[in-house]
Amino acid sequence: MLWYLVKRIIWMAGTLWVVFTLTWFLMRAVPGGPFDAEKKIPEEIRRNIEARYKLDQPLHVQYLDNLAHVIRLDFGPSFKLLDYPVNRVIAEGFPVSASLGVFAMIFALTLGLTAGVASAIGRRTAYDYGFMALATVGVAVPNFVLASLAIVLFVFYLGWFPAAGWGTLRQIALPAICLGAPFAGYIARLTRTGMLEVLGQDYIRTAYAKGLRHRRVIVRHALRGAILPVVSYLGPAVAAILTGSIVIERIFALPGLGIHFIEAATQRDYTLAMGMVLVYTFLLFVMNTLVDLSYGLIDPRVKLK
Amino acid sequence: MHHPVRRLFPYFVVLAGIASLAWAVTFGTLPPADFSFNNGDEVKTVDPAKAEGSPEHRILESLYEGLLRQMPAASELDSDGLMPMTPQQGVAEFPPEISEDGKTYTFRIRPEARWSNGRPMTADDFVWSWRRTLHPETASQYAYQLYYLEGAQQYNEGVLEVGDRVEIESGERKFDLQPFPRGTMQYGVLQNIIKPPQPEGMDETDWKRTWIYQVDVKPELEGAVQWDAAGALGFFSKARAAQYDDDFDAGSLQVVRQVLPHFESEVGAQAKDDQTLVVTLKNPTPYFIHLAAFYPLYPVCRECIEEHGEEWSRPENLVTNGPYVLQMRRIRDRIRMIKNAYYWDADNVKLEVIDAMPVKSETTALNMYLKGQLDWIITVPNTIMPMLRERPDFRPAPALITYFYRLNVAKPPLDNVLVRRALNAAMNKQEIVERVTRAGQLPARGIVPPGIAGYTGAETGEFNIKEARRLLAEAGYPGGRGLPTIEILYNTSEGHRAIAEVIQQQWKQNLGINVELRNLEWGVYLDTVTNTQFQVARAGWIADYPDPNTFLDMWLTGGPQNNTNWSNAEYDNLIHQAAAEGDPERRMQILQDAERILMDELPIIPIYFYVTTNMVKPHVRGFSPNVQDNHPLHIMSIQKD
Repeated sequence: MLWYLVKRIIWMAGTLWVVFTLTWFLMRAVPGGPFDAEKKIPEEIRRNIEARYKLDQPLHVQYLDNLAHVIRLDFGPSFKLLDYPVNRVIAEGFPVSASLGVFAMIFALTLGLTAGVASAIGRRTAYDYGFMALATVGVAVPNFVLASLAIVLFVFYLGWFPAAGWGTLRQIALPAICLGAPFAGYIARLTRTGMLEVLGQDYIRTAYAKGLRHRRVIVRHALRGAILPVVSYLGPAVAAILTGSIVIERIFALPGLGIHFIEAATQRDYTLAMGMVLVYTFLLFVMNTLVDLSYGLIDPRVKLK
Repeated sequence: MHHPVRRLFPYFVVLAGIASLAWAVTFGTLPPADFSFNNGDEVKTVDPAKAEGSPEHRILESLYEGLLRQMPAASELDSDGLMPMTPQQGVAEFPPEISEDGKTYTFRIRPEARWSNGRPMTADDFVWSWRRTLHPETASQYAYQLYYLEGAQQYNEGVLEVGDRVEIESGERKFDLQPFPRGTMQYGVLQNIIKPPQPEGMDETDWKRTWIYQVDVKPELEGAVQWDAAGALGFFSKARAAQYDDDFDAGSLQVVRQVLPHFESEVGAQAKDDQTLVVTLKNPTPYFIHLAAFYPLYPVCRECIEEHGEEWSRPENLVTNGPYVLQMRRIRDRIRMIKNAYYWDADNVKLEVIDAMPVKSETTALNMYLKGQLDWIITVPNTIMPMLRERPDFRPAPALITYFYRLNVAKPPLDNVLVRRALNAAMNKQEIVERVTRAGQLPARGIVPPGIAGYTGAETGEFNIKEARRLLAEAGYPGGRGLPTIEILYNTSEGHRAIAEVIQQQWKQNLGINVELRNLEWGVYLDTVTNTQFQVARAGWIADYPDPNTFLDMWLTGGPQNNTNWSNAEYDNLIHQAAAEGDPERRMQILQDAERILMDELPIIPIYFYVTTNMVKPHVRGFSPNVQDNHPLHIMSIQKD
């Protein structure tokens, strides 16, 4: 297993380098630079600004210089948020996205697993149809529609929550639910399918035949096998949720990371965009590795090599 | 895999879930602010030398104070429901003493003015701050706002002439990326510039770096340069050119960081004493008092920058001189400002704690406003404009902002002035403001918005389909026959698209022209407009200062904002003439003549003048609509009854 981890880390380093290189050259290839503005600046001053960010140097020098800094985990100064180095932008935004993500994920898991198991057990009952219809709606309805409806209902009609902003638990509730809803729906469907498959298998029949109680069979034996697809799905889902959701952050005015993805790209903030892409790649890799590791723990049949 | 590990795993996962939940609920909750408003976007910086844009303006105006400050000039709104705003005393007394030729301004720094660290302000604070803004390596995008000062542009661009006093910087700096505090300084008089032949393929700016400056270096005595003393000959260059290796051995040619005009001698900003600042302008500039109140000219705290370097603008380090100081900043969350106890008028500053929220979505901001989380929002969603216009807390005001289309006069058929006039005459601007924008915008027939004291704009032809058809026929395209398809370019946005679609319809219906729409994302759009690779392109312009010049001098031949390929010698001449004119009335007349040429030639088609769409809670006092959309926070208060 140690060897497995070492191998993963080497892979990750390679992947990050490829992502870095691709992103770097793609960003430079897009027309428009970080210092284009409607109110134009004299050529001399533009030169000075570019010199300050070393944009005046040949591309390969810039590339190597950037790479050397990124290897030392220094993403450099943001081109657009002048008072902030990229590292601090991420350090301020990540905890917000992460804490929202934790709520959203716990909500999605609790609801999704419960609904999935309940549907599978009560197959073709009202529960099943009800939950699965809800799950389909949860997956199909886009975030912003759900958020708008939730705001109309919970903020304006019932008045339970503030409209937007960050800083209190009450402010987290709505965005967390809206963010978690599609994940909950997806998890519910995955769980149900997994459970149905597992429930028909011999070892479950054996467990019943041994005289084990219904609940014990479901929780101890069936769920273990059924949950694997959910776990695989969780890896990328958690990485996506931790780096923030652009739509939810915008609608609820949350200071998370998501918005920087778009803003940095459209404003040609090279360093910030790079920082965001690399953080996301890193998280995706870590989550997938954790998922792979947990397979071995959940399912006795899986061996890591 | 050990069996116990596997058995414990589910419990471990649940435990991890609970732990992360426990972590997620432990975030510091801030006490509520007295007053919260939507600032519209995250500010780029709190450094006046590098800021640009309205969100920055609102923050900087509260944190800092310039020589003068834009303040309400009356106790009541005028008959249009507007508050006249004029520059009034800030750090300096008002009015400054202005010389007869209008070129020398003497500002008296008020003894009560202090920095938030308690130090009294001096005239040198401004000289130092402006020098920092103008220093080429500060790379300020708004440095040109100081170009009105004698010698400022030369300092900013490092332009030298033989006989100039120069300052030469070399050696190590305390902070490598920041020009202040500086490295080793030498001073002298420039005797000659030796220019090596420009190598093939090397661009101008790189080549200039290899120029060699021959300087008579003057000695210093107790920190003062002895300009009259005998000097020593020295050779300096910013980059060594290979072909001079034979002429200069290693010692005699010094490679230095900067060779600039000597600021104190060559630039029109002098501290006569601690309390007296003398500003010398290139031209009489009647609107300089507005610029003296504009944020690029705000002072920054020297000791703060020299001590903290790049970190000086962090809330824990920042020292400012305005009614508020920066207490806390979390990106995309808020900027929290608290009252500055050292502000000279602190007794009259009512709001103790202010939150500026960078909410980008207009709908979200409106929700927060309606739920009482915000006291003031700066824009409202267009879609429900008619509904909001009924409300008493909706406070629209005309603004010094123009929405217009640039026409590329180098591209046929737009090179024909008759076609341009036909396009203008076939555009029903009234329909656009009534059906699309809907906030009470005014259809525009000139580039300069109304509301600038002493100025009446020149107007282009009005909406007239018959006339438009006649013009087009005269141009050789009767009924639009033979006219190639025209493309309207705009940066991706719902609003711009809606307007472009209406214009597309109007031109098609009224003139029989085929019009195509093309939208580009902002960065690419700017690039395309700069390189004039368009036929018709959407644009907007916000006044930098309340004077027609800000809308007119951008159309000078080859001006960086021109981007239409339009050039008119008479127009250029009038703009230059206006800049040198001392008599305000005559000056306005000259500017009006210039605008008339522009509106005859129509390298641009004005579409409408903006209105600002503020919504302010009724319990807020001290908010008054004005054409500059300038709302000082320190005179606002809250009265809840």
